[in-house]
Amino acid sequence: MVDLIALGEQILLLAGMVTLGFAIGMFFNGFARKVTARIHNRIGPPIYQGYIDVFKLFAKKTNISHGWIFDLAALFSVAGITLAFLFLPVAGFTLLSTEGDIFLILYLLAIPALGFALGAGASGNPNAAVGIMRALILMLAYELPLVMVVVAMMIHYNTTSLATLVQMQSGMHWAIFVPVFFIGAIIVDMALQGMLMEKPFDIAIAPHEIASGPMVEFGGKHLGALMLYKMMAIVVETTLFVDLFLGGGVVLSVSQYGWIAYVVNFLVWFALITLVFFLALLINAVFPRFRIEQALKFYWKYDALAALLILIWVFAGVSI
Amino acid sequence: MMAKELFPDAQEIRKGRIRIEVEPEKVGEIVKKLKDNGYDHFVMLSCIDWINDGQFELVYHMWSYEYREHVMISTRIPRDGGSMVTLRDLFPQIETYEREIHEMFGVDFIGNPRLGEFILEGWPHMPPMRKDFDTEKFVKDFYYKIPEVKEE
Amino acid sequence: MRNDDWKKVSRLVSKKSLWMVHFCTGCGAMEMPPVMTSRYDMERFGIAPMATPRQADVLLITGYLSIKTLKRVVQVYEQMRDPKYVIGFGSCTINGGMYWDSYNTIKDLSKYIPVDLYIAGCMPRPEAIMDAFLKLMEMIEKGEAIGWKKYHKYYDQYKRNQRMAFSYRLDEVQDIKEDDAK
Repeated sequence: MVDLIALGEQILLLAGMVTLGFAIGMFFNGFARKVTARIHNRIGPPIYQGYIDVFKLFAKKTNISHGWIFDLAALFSVAGITLAFLFLPVAGFTLLSTEGDIFLILYLLAIPALGFALGAGASGNPNAAVGIMRALILMLAYELPLVMVVVAMMIHYNTTSLATLVQMQSGMHWAIFVPVFFIGAIIVDMALQGMLMEKPFDIAIAPHEIASGPMVEFGGKHLGALMLYKMMAIVVETTLFVDLFLGGGVVLSVSQYGWIAYVVNFLVWFALITLVFFLALLINAVFPRFRIEQALKFYWKYDALAALLILIWVFAGVSI
Repeated sequence: MMAKELFPDAQEIRKGRIRIEVEPEKVGEIVKKLKDNGYDHFVMLSCIDWINDGQFELVYHMWSYEYREHVMISTRIPRDGGSMVTLRDLFPQIETYEREIHEMFGVDFIGNPRLGEFILEGWPHMPPMRKDFDTEKFVKDFYYKIPEVKEE
Repeated sequence: MRNDDWKKVSRLVSKKSLWMVHFCTGCGAMEMPPVMTSRYDMERFGIAPMATPRQADVLLITGYLSIKTLKRVVQVYEQMRDPKYVIGFGSCTINGGMYWDSYNTIKDLSKYIPVDLYIAGCMPRPEAIMDAFLKLMEMIEKGEAIGWKKYHKYYDQYKRNQRMAFSYRLDEVQDIKEDDAK
């Protein structure tokens, strides 16, 4: 009986976290449009526009499908990103996090792109095929520097668990204050720009060029699910950055302050992911778009080279 | 050599505008001669419907970057069953103008293999730019007769 | 009754998020940039341009349509998901405008696809466009923007008119007139 209650509590917690993630993601959608509009000297939509858009998409009447693979694709993306979110420590609060989860998260982050690929393949639209090809190349491009920096951190902190990493950074011993990882943070931030598909790396969904790429045939409820995925992806990717470099937003220890620590930590975490996303938006608002080979060159020539240097530095520092 | 020297009987409308009126058979020869003498830009081919004379006037516009001079070679062909030899071997872009004039006026260009449906899709009537095509009557008989959607 | 309430709520929220695809064959395309950018900023009302008809709610026909483009417009319209709205933009879509005697431009758009709202003028000012969008929102809230329902209901009539126009044949028009008389 006790087990059942504990299980129920666990399920409620998971559901609560997922809801919170989606709510924050939808808020970020409106926030992004508002910030971009203000930079363009416009007024912009209300900040709750993301909620309205998702509601409207799910309220659309017809639902043109291109077969069951197309239907599953959007769900596949949402499920993949949700699972990744549950494995991340959020404000020091861990749900499914275990030893070795950094590898798992890096793997889970690739799943939504594959979901995209399924949908694009099933729709048969040439623009979608071009878009998904670019998305996969971009993924290949930014994963290399990202993984190298993350491996350097794993060597430095001698752990493969994000939760442990966050714990080791508590008490303001943030990784970003270590000089070598300050450079690492800049490298990962560049990779983050590609993960978020903001300019100059919005090559895959270039709306004026290939008519929003993989999403070209999506509409109504399918597009609603894809938007949920994109909104959740913002939360997951910024949280990953915050967990890696900014101590995951943990400022108060739970054992000392009890439930107040949870509230404060969540607020700090929210402020930090907003800050990281805001930086990405600033870059997004002023840059034009790269071509795919320029993006690949950028990531592999400058980002990956710097990441390799960091890896060597850390490796040498540990072994000496 | 400038056009005035090549063709002494050409008419100079004003500075930089030369007009040559010739028989249809000689057009190819003149265009070739001008092309060889620095008039290497074929600007366009236009058509005018002189309905009272029963003739179409074809005007070949050429331009020289060297002399900064615009030459118009004008020729007249009969309106009914008139035909002209294609000049697509001299300038490939003439083909497109010929297709357009064939579609809009019904002039036959002998030797052009791509005369067919160009801009209009499935047009069953007489070429619409001819002056005996009454567009106003066509609009009244066609567009205005399409019934409105009746709501019950 | 509860279903009606749900529809009302749905319309009330949906009107605040109109995604449009603008079919820019006519001169009206020129009026769209000022409406979207910082001078008039239509994103204030949740209106955003979309890249494909699959994602859009509003189809904006900016200016004249020849028969050839009408074929494409019908395709675009049928690709959109319900509920969908059409705005006819400029006098060309109302009665042909300055192309009233052209052999190849359609004169009245509402004979071929259902139009919810017309904007008169040649060209309409950006203010008129903003006003039209606000009017469309009002109509959606009241449930008056039912062009997409009409297209389902009178599908055969719309298809007949489209077929007539695509054929260019005078006798086809007359034939169907006689059928109606019977």
